[in-house]
Amino acid sequence: MDKSTIICRCEEISYEEIEEVLTNGATTFDDIKRLTRCGMGPCQSKICHSLVASMIHEKTNTPYFQIPLPRMRMPLSPIKLETLATNSTSFSSVKSVMDEVELEDGKVR
Amino acid sequence: MDRSYETIIIGGGVVGSSIAYHLSEQTKEAVLVLDQKFPLSGTSGSTQAWVWVHNKTPSWYAEFSMYSAELYSYLSKKIGDVEFKRTGGLSPFFNEADREKAVRLAEAYEQIGIKIKVLSREEALEKEPFLNPDVVGATYSAIDGNVNPFRLVDRYMRAAKKNGVQYSTYNKVTEIQKMPGKFIVVSEKGEFSCKNLILAGGTWSRELGKLVDVNIPINQLRGQILVTEPLKPFLNYTISGLRQAFNGEVLIGYSMEQEGFNRATTLDVIQETANMAVHYVPSLKKAKVVRAFSGIRAMPEDGFPILGKIPGVENLYVAATHSGVTLSPLIGTLMTELILEGETSIPIDRYSISRFAK
Amino acid sequence: METDILIIGAGPAGLAAAFEMASKGLDVTIVDESITMGGQLNQQTQVIPSLPSSFQSMRGFELAAHLTKQLEEYDIRYLLGHRVIGFYKDGSVGITDEQDVFAVKAKKIIVATGAAENAVAFPKWTLPGVMTIGAAQTMINRDFVQPGKEAVIVGSSDFALDAALQLSEVGVHVKGFIEKNAGILSRDLEKIEQVKKMGIPIYLDSFIKEARGMGAVEEIEIEIGTRVLTEKVDLVCVDGGRSPILDIFYQLGCSFGYQKELGGWVPQYNHQFQTDRQDIFLAGNAAGISTQGVLLVTGMLAGINVCEAVGAITKTIADEEKDFLWKELEILETKYNPNIWEARNRHMENFAHPVIKEQFLS
Repeated sequence: MDKSTIICRCEEISYEEIEEVLTNGATTFDDIKRLTRCGMGPCQSKICHSLVASMIHEKTNTPYFQIPLPRMRMPLSPIKLETLATNSTSFSSVKSVMDEVELEDGKVR
Repeated sequence: MDRSYETIIIGGGVVGSSIAYHLSEQTKEAVLVLDQKFPLSGTSGSTQAWVWVHNKTPSWYAEFSMYSAELYSYLSKKIGDVEFKRTGGLSPFFNEADREKAVRLAEAYEQIGIKIKVLSREEALEKEPFLNPDVVGATYSAIDGNVNPFRLVDRYMRAAKKNGVQYSTYNKVTEIQKMPGKFIVVSEKGEFSCKNLILAGGTWSRELGKLVDVNIPINQLRGQILVTEPLKPFLNYTISGLRQAFNGEVLIGYSMEQEGFNRATTLDVIQETANMAVHYVPSLKKAKVVRAFSGIRAMPEDGFPILGKIPGVENLYVAATHSGVTLSPLIGTLMTELILEGETSIPIDRYSISRFAK
Repeated sequence: METDILIIGAGPAGLAAAFEMASKGLDVTIVDESITMGGQLNQQTQVIPSLPSSFQSMRGFELAAHLTKQLEEYDIRYLLGHRVIGFYKDGSVGITDEQDVFAVKAKKIIVATGAAENAVAFPKWTLPGVMTIGAAQTMINRDFVQPGKEAVIVGSSDFALDAALQLSEVGVHVKGFIEKNAGILSRDLEKIEQVKKMGIPIYLDSFIKEARGMGAVEEIEIEIGTRVLTEKVDLVCVDGGRSPILDIFYQLGCSFGYQKELGGWVPQYNHQFQTDRQDIFLAGNAAGISTQGVLLVTGMLAGINVCEAVGAITKTIADEEKDFLWKELEILETKYNPNIWEARNRHMENFAHPVIKEQFLS
């Protein structure tokens, strides 16, 4: 295939860029993703993952069943922050910087 | 692949790779980095990657962080563009009680030469016009910024390899034997020997320590982070809780959960994080979240880095810390000094693992 | 919101499962992104070749209407135009109506989210005018838009042939099939004959060397052995095969195995169409890519297994119904695709040995 062929259309990552990191030791889709951004865009690798799996298979002779799936993430499809937000301002796991500053006798510890 | 090395580093994350790079700048002797998976597959690849001094307490730890942050501009010149940007850090607060804390924080930092400014509501909004107008004030520190963590580790790794460092990835260490004058490191891909052994296992440090009968008290802390679609540049600063990346994506998150090595995300925290985002910066409302990820952070039992020689075992070192991104340039520099010269330009005794033996 | 059963996906398998459960008195909720029920069936104007014995022969969209109608007498909760976006820590499903996100707690979940089409890459495949055959079918049958005037089809499966016939019906000139393999993939001799009669060439051992165009595809170069053929086209329909959609299973922590014939990675499941998370069942293409008749039977089987699991029917009744359906499934699947039937059985036998598991443990 022509090396300039786009593999990840969301982030416009080419065949050549993926090939380069594969020769540099990347083994899985997620390795490639972190080094090139392939699959990190809005479709979250839904379009490119089979193309990348074929590339890994061809370049490294890894059988398909040994090429793990890319890590899949929430939200399952993009969603607006206002839709996610519940308008609550009480937080349990989410902190702020000032939560972390502890005072001792009126002074920073 | 060679089997014998002067130094083996276990862990190729931001800390291990920084040590490998800095060491390779100073010595031509053989260095091997072993990683159970691939650099960036753990904590270093799942972070907002703030370079952050701002609210580190106590002040001596803030000072240590500041020295590291100062090294970033120079580092980018040496290893290549890591999208480091000294944006300045802004921590907004929404009630008067937090202003009191902020003033105390600024006073404590002043004594060590770190300037933290407590901004009024108007000053905060002038700096960051898209902040919620309900903000009461903010602390501001000019030294804070952020970096692209993928690029950072990739550049460390490439620069180290260029200097002759070897990487063996997807290769878990299963056993470590101490022999006179050397270590035998048994891995899934065979045995290696070395004079110096550095444990840079991040979240897995406790497990790694067990192989040499050393208690490295590192726990796991989960943080969940949301990433938006790319937006036009509109945020000027690294705001505690969110920052805008070079490509326009906004990264949002400031959550902490004790979930061991479970890096799942949950809608509970995702929604809480969304609440924080629209509370801090209401105009983010219309932005779409494209993905959420969890990072498992390494958290030493007392919160501070564990650095230096492991007492009682010759040539065995540990470098395990929270805030690895902020601290990696300094840790790489100091560990290199320690290995090659036996002492460091900035004292690290405070960070010795021996403090836990007491 | 609480429900006995949540079915994710209102395609053929999900609707068939819903009927089995609602008719046994269970409280069923169905969620689907689309505002219409029937999923991909709505895009299918051709007669479906082999349906289960309880069904009359009919076209895809007719089957969608039939499956919808047979649910009318039951009190089912429909969340149409709703998306599943993730899961809460307690296992509740997060669903959005695009205004808010709300939690649905279900005793059992059947995931019937179907399949996605795989991409085919060649230089400039991202140009407008290049699309999957499914996208072209949607344009024709749902949006009533002609996707182009001059087309080629990449691939030669049943779906590729169907797409060509549908395109021709609406007046698109199909200039050829481009098949990378040495033989035609479809096993439907009737359809192949139909295509040949229409004079559409089938290029074997061939691929698209390059697409060209300013802002949209205008022409393509086809490499056929040593020969290169240039065709002016404004539509390239690609069939890269289909794979189960896995994201919901992945988030639920289900395990996966690999079976090429089933579409690649498939959630691990047992003879009850139950994943290794006991409360999660699956049906349809999500359990391995197959034909419409088979998808319906897997839905019925999943439904009956869930009924049994929650005590809505006795084991004796369940066993009787399941025996019958498994026989039917075998007949339908081995008729066209004995290799899929074999792969399905291999996959179920591997239940205790998934390749991908505990994906969230770092």
